[in-house]
Amino acid sequence: MNEYSRVTETDIEHFRAIVGPRAMIHGDAEKLEPYSHDETAGALYRHMPEVVLKPESAEQISKILKHANERRIAVTPRGAGSGLSGGAVPEHGGIVVSFERMNRILEIDTANLTITVEPGVITNDINDAVATHGLFYAGYPMSLETCFIGGNVAENAGGGKAIKYGVTGRYVYAIEAVLPSGEIISFGGKRVKDVTGYDLLHLLVGSEGTLAIFTKITLKLVPRTPVQVDLLVLFPDTDSAISTVPRIMVESGVTPTAIEYMDRLSVQTTCKYLNEKLNYSEAGAMLLITVDGHSEPEVTAAYDRVGALCMRCGAIEAYVADNPTTNERVWRIRRNIAEAFKVYSPVQSLEDIVVPFAQIPDLMKSIQELSDRYNVLIPCYGHAGDGNMHATPVKPPEMDENTWDQTLGEILRRLYTRTVELGGTISGEHGIGSKRRKYLDIAVGPVERALMARIKQAFDPNGILNPGKAI
Amino acid sequence: MKILVAVKQVPETSKVTLDEKTGTMIREGVTSIVNPLDLYAVEKALEVKETAGGEITVLSMGPPGAERAIRECLAMGCDTGVLISDRKYRGSDTWSTSYVISQAISKLGQFDLLLFGERATDGDTGQVGPGVASFLGLPVLTYVADLAIVGARVQARRLVETGYENYTAPMPVVATVVKEIAVPRLPTLRGKQSSRKAKITMWDNDRIGADGSRLGLDGSPTRVVRIIRPKVAREGTRVIVKNEQTALGAVDQIMEFLEKRGVVETE
Repeated sequence: MNEYSRVTETDIEHFRAIVGPRAMIHGDAEKLEPYSHDETAGALYRHMPEVVLKPESAEQISKILKHANERRIAVTPRGAGSGLSGGAVPEHGGIVVSFERMNRILEIDTANLTITVEPGVITNDINDAVATHGLFYAGYPMSLETCFIGGNVAENAGGGKAIKYGVTGRYVYAIEAVLPSGEIISFGGKRVKDVTGYDLLHLLVGSEGTLAIFTKITLKLVPRTPVQVDLLVLFPDTDSAISTVPRIMVESGVTPTAIEYMDRLSVQTTCKYLNEKLNYSEAGAMLLITVDGHSEPEVTAAYDRVGALCMRCGAIEAYVADNPTTNERVWRIRRNIAEAFKVYSPVQSLEDIVVPFAQIPDLMKSIQELSDRYNVLIPCYGHAGDGNMHATPVKPPEMDENTWDQTLGEILRRLYTRTVELGGTISGEHGIGSKRRKYLDIAVGPVERALMARIKQAFDPNGILNPGKAI
Repeated sequence: MKILVAVKQVPETSKVTLDEKTGTMIREGVTSIVNPLDLYAVEKALEVKETAGGEITVLSMGPPGAERAIRECLAMGCDTGVLISDRKYRGSDTWSTSYVISQAISKLGQFDLLLFGERATDGDTGQVGPGVASFLGLPVLTYVADLAIVGARVQARRLVETGYENYTAPMPVVATVVKEIAVPRLPTLRGKQSSRKAKITMWDNDRIGADGSRLGLDGSPTRVVRIIRPKVAREGTRVIVKNEQTALGAVDQIMEFLEKRGVVETE
């Protein structure tokens, strides 16, 4: 099936006139290759673009899209390429629009607590820029040191602080974007409240680059909470750790910033990988719990309550990290899990299923059953406090790719079906992209899906924007 | 076995910036932590206590706020804390500091093993450990990378430029330790809670009785004449690479730079 036009020499000339010769890559396979994949593992999620364009402005993007739309060339917008659903992979070739040159912070408005940025700004740079004003941006994907804010908004990224601060969408006040027709649109403003017309702003958030291309984003900032304490709590087994999570949420009287769960396999593999000497050998599971606040007494009281509850729930030991050095030491374990497993086997399927948090214990049992049934390691870690778990089937090193693709397909279908039965859904923060599209029917009914298709049709009648993704 | 560990509270330096004019550290808004190298000494002391038994006293000299550093060590498992603090000590150099600490230690009683971090991350001199040993008339082992108690002696392995040197020394002995010696444990919740309630001994100079003419800026032989930031002679543009995509962009930028200077030519 090739319903899209190939990029011709005439098209290239046209694009060169728009962005200039230095802001495009064409005809050089080696330079195009980095734009052929994101962080999703596997050959299935690789496809070469025909041309990469690096525009500098909404006007340039408008001209690119207008031309591509007329010529019916596929266009895939791309942030930093740190996505985990194949969302930035040009499945149908054509054009990749990369935001690396649109990386300016346009305004920090301390009177209204907002920041306005271009989509190519690295998420961490936003926090560096506003820290001196005593502010912070609370969207916090785990890849924050590399990912672009545009990608975060396109995926409605979640991350480690969602239980207290919510996900990216909560912080998006305004978006300027370009439609496939080339028209520049904008929704929202520096407003806490807005019920003027349909909430298309939040339709764009999480639209995975299939409706419009963002060119300017205004985000809400919040006062920085200077005190942060992490508790690293060791439990004898999965059950005791996981059943503690809903009790923290309900009984402790504290809303932690994060409750991260790591199973035995994740803990052992990562601690070995990092040469971490913590006394982890007895631990069957760990919780990493962060509480933050504006004063030390407030945070101390909070972590005392959470810690005491953990000990009552059967924890072996709770360690306290209350300064930047020890905070970093404990979070480093959590952040390096995916890397550590790549050493064991580079082929893995990082899932981000989400269930109501009281259903996590049931989910964990089902994952263990799947692991036993298929004899495949499925380490499990993630944002237990919001029910979002990174169950990660890892290809046994001795299994060939074809058998793996088939086995993984079966595992995922069963895993997703069970997740939906528990009141959950198949992706909490990574998106559907190309990776989960064939499973979308498990979670979205036919009428709902047809409605989504009609919305897509309204924005992008020729279907040129990020084809093969999301819906 | 009676063990003493000396610790210093220092600013957390990973994000510290320097004042362009004075060349000194901007301390506002910077978290204070236990000098990381002192934590290795604390950990080693705890390990010695676990194998040989004994009691660990943590001693710090600094402003009243340095009490926090002592509590952190108590949370890790040390037994008692002593803070020596007096306005008269402000501006003391390493000689005066070593003198005051040695006076305080003499008042605290006899210790078998006295551990120091090799140096503090703020002053970076590495002089106080050996200075204290000298005032106390005790043998000193510096840059210790491994240490064990064998009978009434310590066996130590010193990290030197050419490798390692092995020593044994009679106790009491002073040792300054390097990173390699141990990995500091994290404090436990129980440790944290009991350390908050612990009573810390506060001594001022009236209690210590050090010679007033040898204290503070005036009593210090060291004179800081000028602090300068070494000027980097090279000039250049830094191109930061964060991932594959920016790597290619960086190559383009460097090429552009080199072309402008006529170093390379492209069509």
